[in-house]
Amino acid sequence: MAESDRDPKLPLFADADETVAAIHQGDVDAVVVMRALEGPQVILLHGAEEPYRVLVERMSDGALTAGSDGVILYVNDRLCELTGCLSAGLVGRSLTSLFEGALPTLVPEATVEANLLRNGGDAIMPVAVWSRPISIGDTTATLVRLTDLSIHRRAEQIAAAERFARSVLEQSTEAVVVLSPDGHITHSSGRADQLAEQPPVGCMFSEAFPLEAQSTEEAGTLARFSTESLDTLLATKPFHGVEVRLRGERNAKSTFLLSAGPLVDDTKSNVGSIVTLTDMTERKRAEEQQTMMVAELNHRVKNILAIVQSVAAQTLRASGSLDNFADAFTGRLKALAIAHDILTQTRWIGIGLSELLAAVLAPYRSSEETRVSIFGPAVLLPAHAVVPLSMVLHEMTTNAAKYGALSKQRGTIEITWQVNGSLDKAVELVWQERGGPKVKANAKASAGFGTTLIDRVIRHDLDGKTKIDFDSEGVRWTIAFPVGGPARRHVALPDSAIA
Amino acid sequence: MTEQDGYNLRLYVAGQTPKSIAAIANLKKICDQHLPGRYEIEIIDLMKDPALAMRHQIVAIPTLIRQLPEPMKRIIGDLSNTERVLVGLDIQPN
Repeated sequence: MAESDRDPKLPLFADADETVAAIHQGDVDAVVVMRALEGPQVILLHGAEEPYRVLVERMSDGALTAGSDGVILYVNDRLCELTGCLSAGLVGRSLTSLFEGALPTLVPEATVEANLLRNGGDAIMPVAVWSRPISIGDTTATLVRLTDLSIHRRAEQIAAAERFARSVLEQSTEAVVVLSPDGHITHSSGRADQLAEQPPVGCMFSEAFPLEAQSTEEAGTLARFSTESLDTLLATKPFHGVEVRLRGERNAKSTFLLSAGPLVDDTKSNVGSIVTLTDMTERKRAEEQQTMMVAELNHRVKNILAIVQSVAAQTLRASGSLDNFADAFTGRLKALAIAHDILTQTRWIGIGLSELLAAVLAPYRSSEETRVSIFGPAVLLPAHAVVPLSMVLHEMTTNAAKYGALSKQRGTIEITWQVNGSLDKAVELVWQERGGPKVKANAKASAGFGTTLIDRVIRHDLDGKTKIDFDSEGVRWTIAFPVGGPARRHVALPDSAIA
Repeated sequence: MTEQDGYNLRLYVAGQTPKSIAAIANLKKICDQHLPGRYEIEIIDLMKDPALAMRHQIVAIPTLIRQLPEPMKRIIGDLSNTERVLVGLDIQPN
């Protein structure tokens, strides 16, 4: 020992006898010996305890010994690391001062959880605290082991986040896949599994989902990328809104919107991407249907205008005065309006013949039910037949009101029909007036514009036939027209149809 | 605490050996009882730095050194004999 290292106040041969005696009496359990090269070394006198001491001092858990009064007597290096305090700063403190709040009651050989204060209280760390009482000579003490739970908690949080993310993926109604930076699929949603050509996880995107561009314009977008570069693009760059189809028969009728967005970790580093294939098939179908409906609406509006124009022109031609024109034209427009109301209400599907008759003849049936009787089997009129037939029925009703059965108090009309044929159904309708003014023998020759319109419309717009009989008891119309054939595109009354 | 009436004590231990632990506990108990507010204890773990043994010529562990008041005194053992400790440190029992 160098003389300079020694405390000068110490007697030169201080207490040598006492030291020897203490060792002999077993009052000490370690000695310091000088070695030539290493200098002073501590030698433990109880060799059997050495392995345990090393274990405690080197173990990855924090360990301490506290006296019966709760004062810390010893801490290992790991506890110093966990608390951020030096050993000297911990020995002598109370055990409870290490923890946030009150330390849960320690149960021998059991583990309780607590929050360890770190760096003088700047932070806390969840720990599991295990304890066991021991005897040291005449003194009782408590061994305490502290296990860092923050790693476990973090692992639990990661596992929970993973479960949550997986649940979101599995529940997603969209096809969603997660790509690693090299383009391999690492996760996939249930819908993606259904769409893929093969189990997608582990494949490159282009293998699992071979693409075709939906439109020529977008084909150019996709064509700029080879399969490999598309995989790289999807894995590394935001990519939005390209309509694609998937190759293969299963998905041949479906259209998808392909999008990709970056997947970043806590440090905002790119760790891959999330690619979605949104099924747009229904949306596309709806768009196409809407486009078609707008075109159909335009077509129908033009038809209606043509009908109105034609009716106006021909009514004007057949009217002797402006008053006559106003009455006739208003009546015909009303008939047209009723027909369009019916078509709108039935969404242009058509209407039963009896319902159409009831609507057109409503003004004459509300209070005098028995004057107009309607009887026949149920038959659905196609939409294209509704407007022409409404016009025809309006003319027949108007004629009856002006000149026929409805012009007299006791006059009646009986409307009956039957349906002939099975595939190419045709309706044969008989309009029989009774009780009206006596029909003149030359009445046919004096038939007016209304009669002519009925005949022309039935023939030209309904592909049907008409026959009028001037019986002595009243006029009888027999009209026949098909109702099972293909729908006609337009229902305009050609100018030529109205003489 | 002044140099005249304060006790500056230094306890040399060897990690968590039973007598080291016992010495720390016993010393704290004795000081709290007989020197309340008049002592400072410094615990030196020679397992961590054996070279610190040289200053006070420590041979046996545990060893308690009374640095103040002078003269310097030394007590070897786990300090379980309170009477011996009080005598060795020149402390009058309360």
